[in-house]
Amino acid sequence: MRNPFLGALLALTLALAPLAGAATDAEAASAARATAKSTADHAAFKVLQQPFKSGPEVTRACLTCHTEAAKQVHKSKHWTWEFLNPETQQRLGKKHVINNFCTAVPSNYEFCTACHVGYGWKDEKFDFTAQENVDCLVCHDTTGTYRKIPGLAGHPPYQDMEFPPKSGRIAKATDLGKVARAVGKSSRDTCGACHFLGGGGDAVKHGDLDTSLKKPGKYLDVHMAKDGLNFTCGTCHMTSGHDVPGSRYGVTVAKSDAARMHMRGRAEGNPATCESCHGDKPHKARQADRLNSHATKLACQTCHIPEFARAQPTKMKWDWSTAGKMDEKGKPFKLKDSSGHESYDSRKGDFSYESNVIPTYVWFNGEVQYTLRETRLDPSKVVEINRFEGSPDDGKSKVWPIKRFVGKQPYDIGNNQLVVFHTYGQDDSALWSNFNWDKAIEYGMREIGAEYSGKFAFVSTEMSWPITHMVAPKADALACRQCHTPPGRLDNVPGLYIPGRHGNALMDTLGWSLAGLTLLGVLGHGAGRIFASRKAKPHEGEGK
Amino acid sequence: MWKVLGGVILGLLLAAGLAYSMMSRLMFTETQSPFGMEETVARIQHNIQKTGNGWELSGLRNPAKAVQKDGGNVLPVMMIEACSTKYSKPILKEDTVRFLSILMPCKVSVYKKDDGKIYIGTMNAGLMGKMFGPLVGDVMSQVAEDQKKFLLFDPSTPAPPMILPAAAGPATGGGGGGGGC
Repeated sequence: MRNPFLGALLALTLALAPLAGAATDAEAASAARATAKSTADHAAFKVLQQPFKSGPEVTRACLTCHTEAAKQVHKSKHWTWEFLNPETQQRLGKKHVINNFCTAVPSNYEFCTACHVGYGWKDEKFDFTAQENVDCLVCHDTTGTYRKIPGLAGHPPYQDMEFPPKSGRIAKATDLGKVARAVGKSSRDTCGACHFLGGGGDAVKHGDLDTSLKKPGKYLDVHMAKDGLNFTCGTCHMTSGHDVPGSRYGVTVAKSDAARMHMRGRAEGNPATCESCHGDKPHKARQADRLNSHATKLACQTCHIPEFARAQPTKMKWDWSTAGKMDEKGKPFKLKDSSGHESYDSRKGDFSYESNVIPTYVWFNGEVQYTLRETRLDPSKVVEINRFEGSPDDGKSKVWPIKRFVGKQPYDIGNNQLVVFHTYGQDDSALWSNFNWDKAIEYGMREIGAEYSGKFAFVSTEMSWPITHMVAPKADALACRQCHTPPGRLDNVPGLYIPGRHGNALMDTLGWSLAGLTLLGVLGHGAGRIFASRKAKPHEGEGK
Repeated sequence: MWKVLGGVILGLLLAAGLAYSMMSRLMFTETQSPFGMEETVARIQHNIQKTGNGWELSGLRNPAKAVQKDGGNVLPVMMIEACSTKYSKPILKEDTVRFLSILMPCKVSVYKKDDGKIYIGTMNAGLMGKMFGPLVGDVMSQVAEDQKKFLLFDPSTPAPPMILPAAAGPATGGGGGGGGC
């Protein structure tokens, strides 16, 4: 180094580089807090300035100030994974429902509870009353570094680990202290960590919720657009005391459902509806009356979410019956479709994906009937995992867009009931380890204490998901012609009279005949007049 | 005499009107695809590569992406572009028809419609060629024959991967460069 000054400058720069990085982190955290307009800087709390070894340790620290938080969470569906439908008396929630994605939680707790707001739910002995088992960080992380990994019973990794197993990718140990000192309000990222990845992956389950909504463009969602209104999930799912409203288990549908649908500011009801902000006469401009009259029969979503999965494809089919195939070497394998999504996985069977999906439209009054494990099914028909109730005549239904997800899954042919099977685990019975359906089903059914005949087959199933996110800009709402000319979007919805779509051949013939005759009459009359006037016109010179 | 002339003129007008109304259907064809969007694109791309006669993929455009960037939505549209110098060279060499370079590269459009189904749109190269003299007519009739091969699908074969333009990444509004023309 010829220039001692330059050498000293370089040495100083190198020495200060780590500090500069730290300063950048601190600045970023500080900026995040400033943006959130919080009155508390959690980094300043002594109780959080310690090297946490586990999630429950962090929770105990949180509870020293937020004394009621865990008790509130304990009452929520996010914690219980249970919902007793007051109308149908069906006991629902992840704990009870068998769907046609990963199917069932029981016997697979360690894997599935990566999306539970708790720590340690690995079997039925989980203590739902322990306050330190509540996971505060999963909803309040602002660093983007907190990630619960399937297989750890709701814990984040406390040391570096390979995930997915045998993938060569390393999930870094979570810096719990860093996350705890930077907590803030929930965000699209935190809610999306589970709700965008439901069903086992990005864009698998809902169709209108996927990671593209982390930073959506205006085309994808006018409310959440990063360069627009920038709503978080909590803007609509306005939470009070950790009770998040707007579950699909208690969907608010029609205007007559006044007890559950309210304008903002009232205590009762569900704020996660379009009407809670837009009212029941939302259209103000041209043709407002005509459009508002549509709102009595059509859910807002029907016109304003013309297609879902507009940024990336969503899974539309899952056929478990083909799981278990092996390659030439006797090893499990995966195949991809033309767009690079998985189309086959030995562990899971066949899939199909679709983007820009045109919804199915159904009458829906907010009531949903589930085929539960106990329900006797008819295997000769497609089993509806859930059925949206509603009709054109009940006075409380509207036409809703839904995603209809189809599949095949095992059922007990002795009892004609859906079965619970054991997918994940290091034991000999897990389907994903040993590809043995008999063992997996026996284990799963034993786990829940249910009777199993010992014989199974596969039955076709379908499940419906209400579409309510991914609201398009108003210019992209359904146009009149998309319903009022055949073939129209609502062709398969019974009990709707749609001018322009419905016709009667006899009436049409009569109408056109009348119109034709009228035209002929007018032309004939006109011709007669011209002819008569010419005939009556006096010749020049006449009458002079 | 006037009656005969009037009849001829009326007949000509009717024929012209009929031709005008059918022009779009004659010049362009639309067929429904048995596959999804990406699989249709991928199968056509691979068919183009298998056709021979110098055909090469020269791009994959996604005009819907450009609309999205502008804050709007349209149903998916993907345009597969392909070119063969065997066919382009004689036309590009001839001054009188070089303006037909505007039709290059050859495009196959794959799109979804409001019924949720996937359609394939192509230009009727054979008919179009006949309008521009024997040279172009001859070249375009061969293009038309190859075009038919682009759309021959074998559902028994597994779905091939979509071929993305190397320069542009996943089918963008801009498309990507490639071989061919």
